[in-house]
Amino acid sequence: MRAELLAPAGNLEKAKIALLYGADAVYVGGVSFSLRARASNFTIPILQELVLFAHKLNKKVYVTTNIVFHDEDLYGLDEYLLELDKMGVDAIICSSFSIIERAKAITNLEIHLSTQFSVTNHVLADYFYDEGIKRVVLARELSLEEISSVSKKTKSDLEVFIHGGMCVSYSGRCTLSNYMVTRDANRGGCAHSCRWLYNLYENNDLISVDYDFQMSSKDLEITEYIPDLLDLGVTSLKIEGRMKSIHYVATVVLAYRMLIDDYYNNTLKELSFYKAEIKKAENRLTSIGFLAGETTVNEQLYNTRSETPTKEFIGIVIDYLPEQKLALIEQRNYFVLSDEIEIVSPKKVFNYSKINTLLDEDMNPIDVARHPLQKLYINIDFEVKPYDLIRRVKQ
Amino acid sequence: MNLVARLKTLEEFEKLNQLGVGVFCVDTVFAAKSLSIFSLAQLRELKNLTKINNKQMYVLINCMIHQDDLPSLTELLINLKEIEVDGIVISDLTVYVLAKDMGMDHLIIYQPGTMNTDSYSEEYFSKRKIKGLTISREITLDEIKLICRNKSGIEISLVIHGYLDMFYSKRKLLTNYLIHKEIEGKNLINNYNLRLNEEIRPNDFYPILEDKFGTHIFRSHKLLSIDEFSELKKIINTFFIERMFLPDKEYYDSIKLYSEKLAKEEFLNKYDSFDSGFYYKRTEKIKGELNES
Repeated sequence: MRAELLAPAGNLEKAKIALLYGADAVYVGGVSFSLRARASNFTIPILQELVLFAHKLNKKVYVTTNIVFHDEDLYGLDEYLLELDKMGVDAIICSSFSIIERAKAITNLEIHLSTQFSVTNHVLADYFYDEGIKRVVLARELSLEEISSVSKKTKSDLEVFIHGGMCVSYSGRCTLSNYMVTRDANRGGCAHSCRWLYNLYENNDLISVDYDFQMSSKDLEITEYIPDLLDLGVTSLKIEGRMKSIHYVATVVLAYRMLIDDYYNNTLKELSFYKAEIKKAENRLTSIGFLAGETTVNEQLYNTRSETPTKEFIGIVIDYLPEQKLALIEQRNYFVLSDEIEIVSPKKVFNYSKINTLLDEDMNPIDVARHPLQKLYINIDFEVKPYDLIRRVKQ
Repeated sequence: MNLVARLKTLEEFEKLNQLGVGVFCVDTVFAAKSLSIFSLAQLRELKNLTKINNKQMYVLINCMIHQDDLPSLTELLINLKEIEVDGIVISDLTVYVLAKDMGMDHLIIYQPGTMNTDSYSEEYFSKRKIKGLTISREITLDEIKLICRNKSGIEISLVIHGYLDMFYSKRKLLTNYLIHKEIEGKNLINNYNLRLNEEIRPNDFYPILEDKFGTHIFRSHKLLSIDEFSELKKIINTFFIERMFLPDKEYYDSIKLYSEKLAKEEFLNKYDSFDSGFYYKRTEKIKGELNES
């Protein structure tokens, strides 16, 4: 069975983009019981629309209900779980026994165990399997060797993070944010206290220099380990980043989609190809996390420098007029007439072109696209489709 | 009412016993943030001491359990069964699963620090017939009362005093920092004298400890529960008194405080840097960017 590529989505548009660009499933947080609840616009009707959209493509939607539960969170839980079940959500991702056991009692929802539980071995994975939890999201602290060992011994389906931000602590085992700023890290309020700058003292002696002690980890990026994970038969390869842009989601999903498919089809290219694709949207330093074993300085972030994405997302296609060879796009970033562009489509075709024609919605010529979400026409010689993305090639 | 104290040496047993300690908790090789690891021979001796004195012995197995740990952990559990320990305090549920297979689930005390935040935790684990669970450290007094409404017979416990941990990473954050800064000659492993300080909170110093299991960060202020203790005793029977970073004298006085052998005023005249934790502090569920699912 082929591994699933699982992508994050912070809103409906991102979810559709992720599915169109090659994700087999998306995970989203609803407006309740999710660590992203306060940032979510996934109301029940929107979730329903997404489920219909995904199922038409023969793809899946998982809903995160992954808060560490307090008694005050109980209100509305049953109704919410029943709604998710009724609309045909493919699974919920949980970390709290309250939600797990309630879902088991009153719904037929498939349950996945969140990485918040930090499962690090096959014994615990099997315990949850025997408790009716089909899939476990492994802790991000495991090496490839450990993942291999768990994979060979467990009855459970395994989901492994392959890309994106990482807690520096074992997930679910941090309350820095709770204590320092009274924001609950395990109920969606994490203030990222682990990414702040500190001074380190030994007794009264200062060891650090001007608050340069950092704990932050680089983001995860493990293209080089994907073939190994596929060989192990891992069920799902997961990308992190429900807060990321549609450009990021499309680019990273597409890069891993190509990598996975190419591996299965024995047409794998040099890894630098896939890495370069990711870099077109990635703006954070990355590392292999724990995949090779204990982390070193190379996996830590000791400065605040960010990478600059090699391409800039400037618009998304809404329609195409074949006779005029014009694409109607929605502007997402500043660009000008004569900019060189490339088009990214779910068909994985990249075409280079130059903007020779730039018209506003009333077909008046303009030189500069400076208004976000403005509808514009640009010349493209071949047919493009809704949800194709336009990138500016940086000079 | 049982006070659970962390014992550093066998020689210290009598001292703590006289102070009113009911449960002696000691570190095993799988104890993160350990004070003093007890060998099997020492555990056997302690068992004799506790039995003679009609007291209990708990052992700490509170690191995260990775695949390679499983054989030696199983071996340890076999020995603990033979020694007849009274309780095994765990943080990773893996230990419960192994213990269950060995008929030792009735000894397990689940103390993950962060996960036992609601009433259902108590219901879930009482059905599984473990010995007890320790309520999480980041919830309010009102929430604690709610959890304790159920009377299923499982031992509910609470950590009521000391520097409580609030962060556990597998990463060697201190070692890596020194390598990055090219600082040599500093021993930061198992060094109990390290503190973090953040620029906008100049008066708060957070103890940080790196051990073989990773890096641990603790609250800047010690939890003090003496004002709430009378109320807590009505609903909870077992109280852990944390020892990390406390000088021996202060630890002994802390035990005296809760066993009513030392008045609060006298105690506070000697020691400072306390707070009431989350008893009266509700945490917000506002927008965040936690990288989880």
